[in-house]
Amino acid sequence: MQADSTRRGFLRLATVTGAALLTSCSADGGGEGGGPPRRGGILRAAFPGFGAKETMDPHAQRQFVDMARHKAVFDKLVDLDADLRPVPRLARRWEPDAEARVWRFTLREAVFHDGHRLEAEDVLYSLARILDPKAPDHLARPSLALIDLRRSRAIGTRTVELVLKAPGAELPSLLATTGTPVVRRGYRDPREPVGTGPFRFRSFTTGRSFTAVRFDDHWDGAPYLDEIRIHSAATEARGSAVQAGEVDYAHEMTPTFARVVDGNPRVRIVSAPSSGAEGIALKTDRPPFDDPDAAMALKLLADRERLVEVVLGGRGGLGNDMYGKGFTYYPQGVPQRERDVDEARRLLRRTGLLNKKIDFYTSTAADGFVDAAHLFAEQAGEAGLRVEVRSGPPESYFTDMLTKGTLGSHRCGAMPIPTYLSQRLLRDSPQNATAWRHKDFDADFAAAQAVVDERDRGARYGRLQRTVRERGGLLLWGHPDWLNAVSHRLHGVRAAPPNTVDWARFDKVWLT
Amino acid sequence: MLRYALRRGLLTLVQLAVLAVVVFLLTSMLPGDAAEVAFNEQAGAVQVDELRARLGLDRPLVERFADWSGALLHGDLGTSLAGHRPVTGILADSLAATLLLAAVTAALVVPLAVVLGLLMGLRAGTRLDRALSAVLLALTSLPDFVLALALVAVFSLRLGWLPSTWVGADSGDLLRHPALFVLPVAVLLARTVCLLSRQIRAGTLAALSAGYVVQARRLGVPRGRLVLRHVLPGAAVPGVQELARTGDQLLGGVLVVEAVFAIPGTATALVDAVQNRDVPTVQALTLLLAALALLVNLAADLVCHRLAPRTEVLR
Amino acid sequence: MTAPAPRRPRRLLATGAALLLALPLTAALFGPLLAPLVTPADGAPYARGGGHPLGTDGMGRDVLGLLLRGGPSALGVATGAVALAYLLGGSLGLAAAASRHKAVDEILMRPVEILLPLPSLLVISVVGVGWRGQPLAIALTVAALNAPAVARLVRAAALDAAGSPVAEAMRMQGESRSRVLFGLLGRAVLPVAAADIGTRIATAVFTVAAANFLGLGMEPTSADWGVTVAGSREALLVQPWAVCAPAAMLVMFTVGLNLLADRLLAPAAEAGTAARAGRALAVRTQKAPK
Repeated sequence: MQADSTRRGFLRLATVTGAALLTSCSADGGGEGGGPPRRGGILRAAFPGFGAKETMDPHAQRQFVDMARHKAVFDKLVDLDADLRPVPRLARRWEPDAEARVWRFTLREAVFHDGHRLEAEDVLYSLARILDPKAPDHLARPSLALIDLRRSRAIGTRTVELVLKAPGAELPSLLATTGTPVVRRGYRDPREPVGTGPFRFRSFTTGRSFTAVRFDDHWDGAPYLDEIRIHSAATEARGSAVQAGEVDYAHEMTPTFARVVDGNPRVRIVSAPSSGAEGIALKTDRPPFDDPDAAMALKLLADRERLVEVVLGGRGGLGNDMYGKGFTYYPQGVPQRERDVDEARRLLRRTGLLNKKIDFYTSTAADGFVDAAHLFAEQAGEAGLRVEVRSGPPESYFTDMLTKGTLGSHRCGAMPIPTYLSQRLLRDSPQNATAWRHKDFDADFAAAQAVVDERDRGARYGRLQRTVRERGGLLLWGHPDWLNAVSHRLHGVRAAPPNTVDWARFDKVWLT
Repeated sequence: MLRYALRRGLLTLVQLAVLAVVVFLLTSMLPGDAAEVAFNEQAGAVQVDELRARLGLDRPLVERFADWSGALLHGDLGTSLAGHRPVTGILADSLAATLLLAAVTAALVVPLAVVLGLLMGLRAGTRLDRALSAVLLALTSLPDFVLALALVAVFSLRLGWLPSTWVGADSGDLLRHPALFVLPVAVLLARTVCLLSRQIRAGTLAALSAGYVVQARRLGVPRGRLVLRHVLPGAAVPGVQELARTGDQLLGGVLVVEAVFAIPGTATALVDAVQNRDVPTVQALTLLLAALALLVNLAADLVCHRLAPRTEVLR
Repeated sequence: MTAPAPRRPRRLLATGAALLLALPLTAALFGPLLAPLVTPADGAPYARGGGHPLGTDGMGRDVLGLLLRGGPSALGVATGAVALAYLLGGSLGLAAAASRHKAVDEILMRPVEILLPLPSLLVISVVGVGWRGQPLAIALTVAALNAPAVARLVRAAALDAAGSPVAEAMRMQGESRSRVLFGLLGRAVLPVAAADIGTRIATAVFTVAAANFLGLGMEPTSADWGVTVAGSREALLVQPWAVCAPAAMLVMFTVGLNLLADRLLAPAAEAGTAARAGRALAVRTQKAPK
């Protein structure tokens, strides 16, 4: 099942850097040159900070700054490539049985920072720690809950056999989600993180900074850098610091910032296309959107080009009401949905919505939510539907919006398509923003989980996606690019959306 | 004087106790709690409920407040609901930078405002007065972030004279890098100096017309002595009292300064804590800031008491 | 120096102040009527030119059109809040200063002092969450936040004047307390208050803007000057008008207001001995530096 990882890795590298060059050529003064990789130097990176929330516990991580820090110190069994396809990390390869119920993962030779060799027991310990019933803040717990730990076991020191409670063809990508790094057996104190990662932990100040030094015995080869420092900083500070050369890497920059540094030879924007989706969630369990025609009217009246131009500052792709454009399993050959105000009007009239008022519940919880809501309200007005925008508290928005409002703001970062389906569109999904609850849909998804053949499974996901596109409540209008800024000294940064293996990856970059 | 100070000290304690209750209630009135905010969009209701139970947020409000205040009496500020570490650690981490910044700003703003205020007051109505007034007012009405971003654009990005942020600055070692302070302090100065100098200007005008100054002038007290001994103390009363109260008004400005310059300070910590619904941290930070403000207030009143004792005599 | 001929510059000053005030006030009063007539269709975000005299903002809206619509809330909320703060806090402070009994003073001022160190951000958060997007609620909150400080300021200034020999004399002549209070103290308090009001409005404008910015006040898409300044700040170098035009309105308003307040109140203070004394002093100090 698993191809030779080195060759694939190389191909991926080539395509990804190619894409990075294409998308960032306008802002790239000196190109991705920089000559051959050089050893040495201290890399300073700035990420949006989260104050007291920041943590060094790799299983309780939630924010990008945490993930970047943990990525330096720890490795996962499996990670995701830019297409959101599982790629081997600490697991060299894996095989499921015919029903995808029992999986065998073969580990590679890796050493922890304290000299301890990675063994199957460390993996089982890590999974037990993630699934600890007394640790509700362990993020991956619900998605890994299908692992039956009591029946799972180590086979020798190099192989782990994981037994599932139900068929789970997506186990590798579940093991690659946030909050799944492998820790050393007996790891308890988050203040002393010991991992197999490319950097050895040195210090951490919550809400401020983190330093780690090169680990020469890393299984994937020692990093070029001597040391990395990952700082927390607000938007303005990240922008100034990277322009002033105080940091070499600034994570999560806005399209406006990209315009500010356009033509600046000292700063380059690394832009990763398809880093998720932006959209509007229509509640399908209540009128008017329990009628698919009403939902279709809204999908047809949205001016997607305008939304992308304004809300994403033109840095993104058009959405086609299906999650995961550019990711593996994305259905091919589905025509782009175009704006059709006349047809939208006709559907509005037929469903009795014309000149009616509906409620859009939004919030400042994420950049662009309120702008998109107002813009959409204007566009709806042009087709004869009055949309009234209402703002709620940002802190609890994502919980509130599950029940409040007829329309709501929706956004999702990069994740594999099956993960999206299971977290957003099943009856027991925690974030079912469109209130899409259909028994047969759930059954089809569950059936796909027992299909080991990737193509067959992909076709099944495609059918599910198309169903939602035609009848569901997801109006996905755009796929934002992910923008990071790097200084002219830093080389080898690959354009990759968050949650993928090459994102915030500092073991393969070098300074000049 | 000593009795006065003691009485005020006691009062401060009562004040802090009332504040603790008010702040606790206010924070609890906010929608969502630490458990809900912790996951944001990433978890389901079951996981949120479990975390809520573990953090003890499912218990009644009164019980939680009783626990918190009981612990406080034993000197325990509790554990943060967001980071699961002692609140004292959060205080220690954020306080140093802000106190330093505040101290440097205060050390500069007081002499500057006194000089400018006296000058404007003594020359009231002249071109100098008007020009100074207009410039200071314009500085105050300019939004903090516009001023801050413009200063960074010019002095760090274009000229490269000063660091643009505190990213990577070692907090134990700030005083060795005075350049770090220049831009943040400049922004804070622009905010405060106008308020303060205008108070001193008004005070100077009032003092000049006061009987004792007029009398002193008739008696032929030398000019310099007149200004320093008789006008300034009277003029300073409203100014000093104003200084003591700009603290909170400044908090918004400090927040912007901390964000723009990546200063890990108290305002950011407070806003973070409010957003995380981290009640113990909000409590501790508020009380600490309040205690500091009250102390400064007390000091200011004692100074005023000395400068113009009649304010108390009258009572 | 020009002690004998301050008339003309001061009239000039008044005119200048009036001119400074006129623009933002006119924009606030008549702008909303004018806006639909002069606002072109939306363009690209942060565009310059292209039929937009002042370019566009981040949503592609015409900055001039926004400028014309954003005045009433920007000036109204802050001015209203400070007026209310003075109504509440000022009367409280005056009453406390005038009270014959220390106990009354204590009862009036203690609650005020207890509330003084309450972080305004916290209060605004609570109010903003409860009454999201309502300018009236924001105005009331900003007023409530300012009232304690105003009360203390007014009380201090009033006490200061009440201690003066003139007040003593008035009291000895048997003038009623209220006459002493409103006749003399009112006048002594006014200059201090005038200086304070102007700057307080400036601060209030930005407290409101900060609340908006934290997502607690008005909608981030509102045309309010404070909101647009905050919302476009990132584009300061790309499309400066989106930030500078509304900021200039706010600056003109506060500077004009303060200068005018000085001018209007100056005769009260300066017609008497104060200004002359001050000027004479200044002149003499300058002549004889040692």
